[in-house]
Amino acid sequence: MSTPPNPTVPAANRIEPPIRRPLKMYAFDPMLGRAPFSTLTVEVANEPLQPGPAGARVRVVDYDGGSRCFYEPVDLDDPALLMQGGLEPTESDPRFHQQMVYAVASKVLENFDRALGWRITFTGGRPLTLFPHAFRGPNAFYDPEARAIRFGYFAADRTSPGANLPGQNVFTCLSHDVIAHEMTHAIVDRLRHFFLEPSNRDVLAFHEGFSDIVSIFQHFTFRGVLRDTIATTRGDLRSPTPLVELASQFGHATGSGQALRSALDQGGEPDPRLYDTVFEPHERGSILVAAVFDAFFTSYQARIADLLRIATGGTGTLPEGDLHPDLVNRIAGEAALAAQSILNMCIRAFEYLPPIDITYGDYLRALVTADYDLVADSGLAQRRAMIEAFRLRGIYPEGVVSLAEDSLLWPRPEQPLEPLPERVVGAILHRQTQTFRRRHPGLEAVGEGEETLREEASRKYEAASEVDPRREGAKAFHAWALRNSGALGLDPDETIAVEGFHSTFRVAPDGQLQIEIVAQFCQTDESRKDEFGGIPARGGTTVIAAADGSVRFVIAKPLPSRVLNSDQARLAAARLASQRDYLDVWDRDDALLPWADERYERTRMSRRDFRALHMAIPR
Amino acid sequence: MTLALKPDHVTVRMYNVGFGDCFLLAFPGEGKTRKVLIDCGSHSAGRGPRAMDEVVGDIIGDVTDSDDVARIDIVIGTHRHQDHVSGFDDERWGKVRVGEVWMPWTEDPRDAEGRRIRETQSRTARHLALASAALAAAAPSASANALSALADNQLTNAAAMKTLHQGFRPLDQDRRVRRVFLPYRDRPANSFEPRLLEGVAVHAMGPSRDPAVIRDMDPPIGQSYLRFAGSGTKREEQTPPFAPRWRVDSTAFEANFGQLRITDNELRAIDNLDAVDYLAVAVALEKAVNGTSLMLMFETPRSFLLFPGDAQWGTWNAAIEDEEWSSLLERTTLYKIGHHGSHNATPRRFLETLVAPRSSPEGALLDDFAALVSTRPIRMWKQIPKRELLKRMGELTEHVARSDKGSSAPAFFSTDRNRTVDTFLPM
Repeated sequence: MSTPPNPTVPAANRIEPPIRRPLKMYAFDPMLGRAPFSTLTVEVANEPLQPGPAGARVRVVDYDGGSRCFYEPVDLDDPALLMQGGLEPTESDPRFHQQMVYAVASKVLENFDRALGWRITFTGGRPLTLFPHAFRGPNAFYDPEARAIRFGYFAADRTSPGANLPGQNVFTCLSHDVIAHEMTHAIVDRLRHFFLEPSNRDVLAFHEGFSDIVSIFQHFTFRGVLRDTIATTRGDLRSPTPLVELASQFGHATGSGQALRSALDQGGEPDPRLYDTVFEPHERGSILVAAVFDAFFTSYQARIADLLRIATGGTGTLPEGDLHPDLVNRIAGEAALAAQSILNMCIRAFEYLPPIDITYGDYLRALVTADYDLVADSGLAQRRAMIEAFRLRGIYPEGVVSLAEDSLLWPRPEQPLEPLPERVVGAILHRQTQTFRRRHPGLEAVGEGEETLREEASRKYEAASEVDPRREGAKAFHAWALRNSGALGLDPDETIAVEGFHSTFRVAPDGQLQIEIVAQFCQTDESRKDEFGGIPARGGTTVIAAADGSVRFVIAKPLPSRVLNSDQARLAAARLASQRDYLDVWDRDDALLPWADERYERTRMSRRDFRALHMAIPR
Repeated sequence: MTLALKPDHVTVRMYNVGFGDCFLLAFPGEGKTRKVLIDCGSHSAGRGPRAMDEVVGDIIGDVTDSDDVARIDIVIGTHRHQDHVSGFDDERWGKVRVGEVWMPWTEDPRDAEGRRIRETQSRTARHLALASAALAAAAPSASANALSALADNQLTNAAAMKTLHQGFRPLDQDRRVRRVFLPYRDRPANSFEPRLLEGVAVHAMGPSRDPAVIRDMDPPIGQSYLRFAGSGTKREEQTPPFAPRWRVDSTAFEANFGQLRITDNELRAIDNLDAVDYLAVAVALEKAVNGTSLMLMFETPRSFLLFPGDAQWGTWNAAIEDEEWSSLLERTTLYKIGHHGSHNATPRRFLETLVAPRSSPEGALLDDFAALVSTRPIRMWKQIPKRELLKRMGELTEHVARSDKGSSAPAFFSTDRNRTVDTFLPM
């Protein structure tokens, strides 16, 4: 909506810009050859867009390194396109590709905004750059150095082209799942930068698994996608297989289809041994996906039980022939709602993760705590399903006595802790509430003084989300952490880095506004870097506080230090030992190690490279 | 025959082939010595002090009996890498009488899975060889040389493999040379007493058909890059993704769309993204072929000889996880160090949890454990053999010998002018 408001219309009579922007996209990756003409319209938050599209948080730059040229960028604010929900899906017009990448990336961002309760911005307030046709190759990856996502395209095999024409170009940027997967990598990296350091066997696997979870469940929230599957597998509504198959087709595009399918417990019970024996990040990530899928399916079954009773007159046996389209619609609707609910739960857990060295057990605890915190009663069944799904796969958190919900919750501080510095908390909350003044965050920039307003708006978000430009917040938090180092598991004799702080605003099902302050602290021990293959030992603590600054949860993964009690010290030592052990796991699959030089050996764990990781996907 | 023998002892002769493997085992028997040859190859980038055909001449001399006929009871090709089989490309083998040839099951022409694996590996190897030759021709450099050296090792040495599959003369006039593909599908059948090795139990520990082991034999999917890059199509010849009318001149793009500006560095980085990392492909393939390595243990009443070829983690892990194999591994008295002494071919778990605990008192040198490493340092691959691994071996036992430093081997071994190292183990 780049057209300036007509000055002759009095302000009170001006038409408000719409909140949502509809955009068309492919429902299924055309690469799959599945229902090739199936398209859908996705609605994303409306923001002013320049050609690219270039918005506040993502911009699409269509430079093709494979052909060494730029392509015409799409102007989604062109009235002709506004009137028809964007360009029609087509493989032959690069502008549609740009539109689809923008639409899916925006949808992922929106899902994070909603579940987290604050608006994510990328570091420095600069948008993430998406290159829909960066290179030739069947790969797509997030590049953390350049803060960019690069999608590849490639010619279908001339001898076995699959669903494509021989030699036809196949585009990874036309797959919802590839876009959503890579976008999630970028967001995870924004929220927890140290999750790119493989300090234990779960860290990179979490990156991959979580990215698959977001892409699969976001895809499931489009009910049109599920409708066909439900209608055609009518007799099989109680079996997860059709949805698993659908999901692994999604995965196929990202290369992890096979692993996904086997991890989704094909033909039997989940195998708890996988957690102890599978280490390749994608395959290990699939264990996480399978656990979450399991919980989703339980929750979906509970949601459709009454529909099935109604439809079968209580017999549970569906009549012969096609399902009634109304029933299909209702079931698809419930499946989409269940998917959205799981997606929210999985993303929301992010605030409750330690800043470093994540394990699946940590994630389970975060899932349970975050969900309990917001929807204590109504979420109970879904939480139980999640705990059970993790248990069946042999995933147990360190240092908990049982898998009962209350022992999985992160500990509350043993003694009341000094509240977070009031002045800073007040400032953070004030800034955040300012962003709610207008109905459309991101649209303030319309009209007079456009640039100033835009800058001001982004400054606001930035301040509330991460870095206080005046550094006052960081200083106050640092002083607070130093005063309370014992309770936070931080070593007062070593540097404490304030990794970030922000507020979250969420609405609980009972209508209550839940406001929290989240702060992260990190410590780094470089002394064992060589021994750990180039990455340091790190400790870190996430603090969750209420709006009045009183500390509710302390999520600590400390380095060994004098402030720890004997239990904590034991866990801290064990954590470093497992970081050392993980090196062996890494090495035995590292084909390059025997042939590389010593420099490679010293730095082999610090080569955070999703491109290489994606290329090493097993068949 | 000139092979030194000691009554009631097994002789293990390690030939100095440079960067490669070649071992001759002689088991004493009633009235005759039974001979087993394990591998015969040398890496083109790491030749030994003597040419391969001289070494082959030595071997044939060593196995020639008093009636002037060369006989080997069992010839074993652990896997089809040049540095393990190149020596079999020699017509003199046609005169050698052989009872059986053992190879991994992936070599079995009637095994569908084996065929699939072989074909995938060979296809990747061919593409790699073409690409590396093109690179070396375009711009000779140290890294291009290293790549060609790695690529060459992968190329199926057709003539050598033909010897293993079809060559040799039968040991018995009325029998054919029997080809045996190991391990057998049937797990219990993999501990057996070969007809030609009475009194010796052989344990074929790997490669198993476990999916995790097979996975080690498949080059990763990303290597399908080669399909596109290795086909030799130049950039200009590839189908452009879009019609020319969508292209925007870079100056016009910069002038009109300031919001989409990218730095020159970023532009260059993108331009280079479609470059294939051939080294990554080469090392992945090298590892995949190593993954097909036969892993064998020869058990005599008093010795346990472990020959893992160049087995990778998948094979090792499957063997260690198997209770029976694991208790045998624990008793190893002679260990042929895997893959010329590289970092990840000797699992820490084997050394530290199975072998090291045997020392008593704790930390004392093991007297009943010896290790052989067939290797030769190559300037471009400084990490083979791995110093730390050899150092650790030295802490476990004094009985460690290197093929390339035969003359400085400890007195436990007997050596011939840097040409061979002999080990004698009680039968």
